[in-house]
Amino acid sequence: MSENIMTLMLSVSTFLGALGLVALLWGVRTGQFDDQSKFIDAARYDNEEDLRDAAMMEEKKKAHKKKKAAQKKEYMPVD
Amino acid sequence: MAQVPCTHCNLNFDESVMITEEYPDKTLHFCCKGCQGVYHLLESEGLDTFYDKLGDTKLQPAAQHLDDLHKFDLEGFKKKYIKESEDGLYEINLVIEGIHCSACVWLNEKVLHKTDGIIDATINYSNNKAKVVWDPEEIQLSKIIETIRNIGYNAYPYDASLQEERANKTKKSYYSRILMGVFGTMNIMWIAIAQYAGYFTGMEQRFKDILNVAEFILATPVLFYSGWIFFRGAYYGFKNRLVNMDTLVASGALLAYIYSIYAMVTQSGEVYFDSVVMIITFVLVGKYLEVLSKKHAVDTLDGIIGSTPTEVTVEEDQSKSLVSIENVVVGDIIELKPGEKVVIDGVVTHGEGSFDESSLTGESEPVFKQKGDEIRSGSICLDSVIRYEATKDASHSLLTSIINLLEDAITKKPRIEQLADSISGYFSLVILTIAVITFFAWYFSSGGFEHALIVAISVIVIACPCALGLATPMSTLVGIGVAAKRGLLFKEATFLETMAKSTLLALDKTGTITEGKPSVVNAILSPNFQPDFLLSLVRTSNHPISKGIERYLLTQYESLKEHPLEAIKSIEAKGITASYQGKSILGGNAALMERSGIMPDFSSEHSLFFFAIDDEIVATFELSDTVREGAKEAIEAIKKMGIRVVMLTGDHEQSAQRVAKAVGIEEIHAKLLPQEKAVYIQERQAEKEVVVMVGDGINDAIALAQSNIAIAMGRGADVAINVSDVVLLKETPQSIYDAFRISRRTFKAVKENLGFSLLYNLVAIPLAVTGHVNPLVAALSMSLSSLIVVGNSMRIKMMRFKK
Repeated sequence: MSENIMTLMLSVSTFLGALGLVALLWGVRTGQFDDQSKFIDAARYDNEEDLRDAAMMEEKKKAHKKKKAAQKKEYMPVD
Repeated sequence: MAQVPCTHCNLNFDESVMITEEYPDKTLHFCCKGCQGVYHLLESEGLDTFYDKLGDTKLQPAAQHLDDLHKFDLEGFKKKYIKESEDGLYEINLVIEGIHCSACVWLNEKVLHKTDGIIDATINYSNNKAKVVWDPEEIQLSKIIETIRNIGYNAYPYDASLQEERANKTKKSYYSRILMGVFGTMNIMWIAIAQYAGYFTGMEQRFKDILNVAEFILATPVLFYSGWIFFRGAYYGFKNRLVNMDTLVASGALLAYIYSIYAMVTQSGEVYFDSVVMIITFVLVGKYLEVLSKKHAVDTLDGIIGSTPTEVTVEEDQSKSLVSIENVVVGDIIELKPGEKVVIDGVVTHGEGSFDESSLTGESEPVFKQKGDEIRSGSICLDSVIRYEATKDASHSLLTSIINLLEDAITKKPRIEQLADSISGYFSLVILTIAVITFFAWYFSSGGFEHALIVAISVIVIACPCALGLATPMSTLVGIGVAAKRGLLFKEATFLETMAKSTLLALDKTGTITEGKPSVVNAILSPNFQPDFLLSLVRTSNHPISKGIERYLLTQYESLKEHPLEAIKSIEAKGITASYQGKSILGGNAALMERSGIMPDFSSEHSLFFFAIDDEIVATFELSDTVREGAKEAIEAIKKMGIRVVMLTGDHEQSAQRVAKAVGIEEIHAKLLPQEKAVYIQERQAEKEVVVMVGDGINDAIALAQSNIAIAMGRGADVAINVSDVVLLKETPQSIYDAFRISRRTFKAVKENLGFSLLYNLVAIPLAVTGHVNPLVAALSMSLSSLIVVGNSMRIKMMRFKK
């Protein structure tokens, strides 16, 4: 066995593991594991309906942002 | 009659009392208007899949709520609870009441999402807390709360910034750090296995180098990211001129790390990256468990604070106004409506009614109050409108002081730890000094930097936190495991140690020594006694005495028949009256009998219940709260251990004496208020006693928080469980004794372990200092010493218990 193969194996496996770790840390940081029970229930209840719901909430947020932007435009400061 | 479940809440009721709706394809039953309303609302919104998700889970019937929605739009409320974001959105944290299962969470989120103007709503199932973000231009908070109430739940706000945000942030940060630590440790161990194998069978330096570099890459983030907490702790310790456990962990890990880099670069000796990550990860996990238990306590506290009203109705010159509780001054006249919680202490000036004081005294019996009686905050007005004069302002009232005390207890708890830290702190300071002296001595005497460094590192590695560090946690871990198997949950490892050192045991009476429910000990029956009528009568009441009589009747008689009684009237603190086909039926205490002109000539040290038909007493029952099985033996055994046992109770002297005599307690303190129990414990602590307190109710919470070790009964109030250090799932006095035994046995193992590692260090360190040990042998003997410590701790498992 040459050093190169060993280096390759070690670095590839560590890199792949690190990717998983980064994903997990990202999940923790964004609060996806805050509620253990809900996390488990998601496997039971998630369906297209929930996806539509999530999309609807995104729409709502966007609509609010647009509204705010429009309000800002209307407002003209005095020179 | 057949019992059918309510279509909405799934609770079973007689079919005759249900609201029934007939449809061609189905029949619906509702237990109340509230449930009916919620069902039709969900159906019309297309949310009836909720019931499929719900399954057999039982809900609370949907209650009709008080008309207090306007308070949510008040300015004071907004200032206290609502956060405004930059883009004009409002955000609030709510505790949602009535959540039983994940289907409830689903329904609430679904409904909130569908409501216009709500931008975001997330509910946490574990603690029933919700965060709602909305656009104030489209919807008002009162409307949001109304929406939640309409579907059968209730919501009240809490102030997350107080404790929760901080607790959450710490929790997340620890969690991320542990993930990194576990990842690093797992991978390094794989590589280390190859290295160990190579050490014994021979390995070429070029392969060794690759493995060393791989370990170095993995260990670096663990040491500096996961281990950051220890470096920070060590830094603060350094600033305050303290050497603590953090210093030991940080310096041990850092030096092993630096030496390993040196060994890696110079290709001399062995690397110790595996020790670095393991030290960091294991100690971190222990710290994390502590953070978790703190977070739980914060959750319950928010529940209590959130359910306290923020405004009260104050009457002034014939007009009523809502005043924020902070603005109420002594002398204000406050109006209480049925179902309202008292937040300010006072004295009744007008009206009379009964109060639920269970959250203060632990007694489930409502207390009757009339003009001139004192009202304490925390109690709930049950049945009538009452006016009372405030005698204290909000911040001095009982409820606020209880909440403040609990908050203090949560934040101040880890005091024993500091002691443990200081001991290992001295140790690490001594080791560090010895290592430094060794380094310079070797450097100047032999002149070789490398050799001097290796010897110094050997000293640190051989005395590395492991032996001493493991001595305590390993035994306590085993001790906690043994205790958990017996249904005793120690919340933190260090509590075992404190408990082992305790000298005084304070016991609450009701619910701790006794069962907490009275049962019949003696019955005198006349030939005219008809148990059917008595059963019908006591079934109309929820009073503990009535329940005791009911249990007695059901065990004594078979096939009892219930009669439909008329004119049932429950007379506060006295008993129940009713009539049946013209006969008058009375059941209650002597006061009720005297009221009806009957003079019972019977007295007893127990509670008495008389049953009269047509003004003739046909049955007399003596009831007593039974002492828990095995209480006497357990208390005797605890006393034999040299622990002083006292009883603290809110009950009157006579009944306290009787129970104390039955279980063999000589020292009793009766008629104590919740704070007085705490004061008693404080006084004993001032006399250098280490106090263990056992209790179950909210009334014990302050005393529990004050005591060195607080033990709560598993079925006790949430607050009591949360401020406690030990929870008894098996509510037997025997388990209190077991807790003492396990803690003492564990502490003995800790002492043995400490003694051994001290001896080990006494032998090993001089050898290392004199240069007789190379780092590898040092590491091996360190592992061996750790194994011995682990083995000794395992012996705790061999303890035998009485079944």
